[in-house]
Amino acid sequence: MTTQGSLTGRERVNRMFARQDQDRIPRHESFWPETITRWQEEGLSGEQSDVLDLLESDFGQVTWMWPSPFRGQGRTIQQDASTRVVRDEHGKLARYWKNKSGTPEHLGFDCDSREKWEQVYKPALLNTGLQVDVHAAKRAFRRARELGQWAYVAGVESFEQTRTMMGDEITLMGMMEYPEWIRDVSVTCTDVMLRNLDAIVAEGVHFDGLWTYGDMAYNHATMCSPATYRELIWPDHKRLAMWAHAHNMKFIYHTDGDINGVMDLYVEAGFDCIQPLEAKANMDIRTLCPKYGQQLAMFGNCNVMKYATNDRAVIEEEIRAKLEAGKKTRGYAYHSDHSVPPQVSWETYQFIIDLVKRYGKY
Amino acid sequence: MAELQELTQVIIKGNRAEAKRLTQAAIDAQVPARQVLDALVAGMDEVGRRFQRNEVFVPEMLIASRAMKEAMALLEPMLVKAGIKPEYIAVIGAVQGDLHDIGKNLVAMMWRGANFQVVDLGTNVPAEKFIAAVKEHRAQVVGLSSLLTTTMPAMQAKVKAIKDAGLGSLKVVVGGAPITQDFAKEIGADGFSPDAAGAVDLVRKLLAA
Repeated sequence: MTTQGSLTGRERVNRMFARQDQDRIPRHESFWPETITRWQEEGLSGEQSDVLDLLESDFGQVTWMWPSPFRGQGRTIQQDASTRVVRDEHGKLARYWKNKSGTPEHLGFDCDSREKWEQVYKPALLNTGLQVDVHAAKRAFRRARELGQWAYVAGVESFEQTRTMMGDEITLMGMMEYPEWIRDVSVTCTDVMLRNLDAIVAEGVHFDGLWTYGDMAYNHATMCSPATYRELIWPDHKRLAMWAHAHNMKFIYHTDGDINGVMDLYVEAGFDCIQPLEAKANMDIRTLCPKYGQQLAMFGNCNVMKYATNDRAVIEEEIRAKLEAGKKTRGYAYHSDHSVPPQVSWETYQFIIDLVKRYGKY
Repeated sequence: MAELQELTQVIIKGNRAEAKRLTQAAIDAQVPARQVLDALVAGMDEVGRRFQRNEVFVPEMLIASRAMKEAMALLEPMLVKAGIKPEYIAVIGAVQGDLHDIGKNLVAMMWRGANFQVVDLGTNVPAEKFIAAVKEHRAQVVGLSSLLTTTMPAMQAKVKAIKDAGLGSLKVVVGGAPITQDFAKEIGADGFSPDAAGAVDLVRKLLAA
């Protein structure tokens, strides 16, 4: 077991959630794959996991869950020198880069009607067996415990699952015209997720937190109105949070974008933590912490656009100011506000690690 | 005219069936095509204003755009007959390296809703393709979108290439999640909009000047 200071990572994160004294703020990070590739060219000896070791990350992932109706049936339809068109496990037709990451181009969504949902997709989702490798989860959980890490299961929630199967336009217009359909999709996706979570716990994997991913906002606002979110998706977000609490776990919600308009709904649903708090989308923990800091732990908000300047003075002020704001609540963990992009040099990121360590002490 | 005011309202509400019915009724009643067009555009303009105030969101904008599109399909022959042309011609695309398209699609919808002719080049668009489309369609404005911070350098290169192509008074506007006003100015773009609704006013201001 590794510890830094007097606490293990798990103890530190648990104390953060309880707003108790800690030796330092918990830490974690995400990176674009191209960033790691650049850093390897610039002298990084290792992979992403090695960077997280240098950062002294407190978090360990047990498994990743993204339920799909056609598990294992994705296939490449066509390809050229740089991209690949894939009919994936969600029925979506999309073009992906072959040699770099990035949001895919959505070419078509097969689940484009209520009839197709009810006749094909819903039965397929409900009748697909377990969508997690429970044995791999057990191994990862044991390792996280050995390393003293706060162990979490990560997964995609129902709004993101719906958009993945049906696309943005069908989903969002469906919210207006066929809300009961969208509600049914959200309920079904959440039922499948909970079934898989129950299977993990049944194997004795009592992890510490459920970290769900959805992107329900962009830089201007939430994709749908708060009222629509409350009616159609929020009840299932609340179910996930309740499931976590019933198992003595915490609930972290990841979303990009401007979520200022729904923070009260997150509090009402019992969320424990919001990540990554995208700075360029009007999210700022200097105003969020005083208002929500006792109900919601804040995890992130250090602006990657400032990291990308590679300007040390700019970066230091960003980290100093944000960590100072977060520490006031004792409910803050370090993360950038998105994923660290390849514009950031390896030298700069090592400087960032030093700053996080320096300004992150209590 | 009360029916045209009602047409504006059903566009705002995204009621496609009523939008088509009222448009056809106006055509049948030989209401001048320009008046019908103005009523439709007024509806989309109001949707844009409400979107910027966070009174409506993307779903409402999408159904309004669809109602507008279907009404325009009925009206278009009348517009052609009356010699009424699109207000502006715009080319739009996501820059090379970026496959994301929802933001670009929303801008294209709002531009069409404002009676711009829009040539949508899709995603992963190289500079040469933007330039060729501008020349072919005699566009007055080109819109570049970028979702990822990783494609921002590519946007800078595109703007430079387009500006260097000698395309006269063409205006270059940019947008997307990582794009800011400062960045737009830094790379020599003529304008920036933080959202799809603002992209309509931006073009009108730039091209009216």
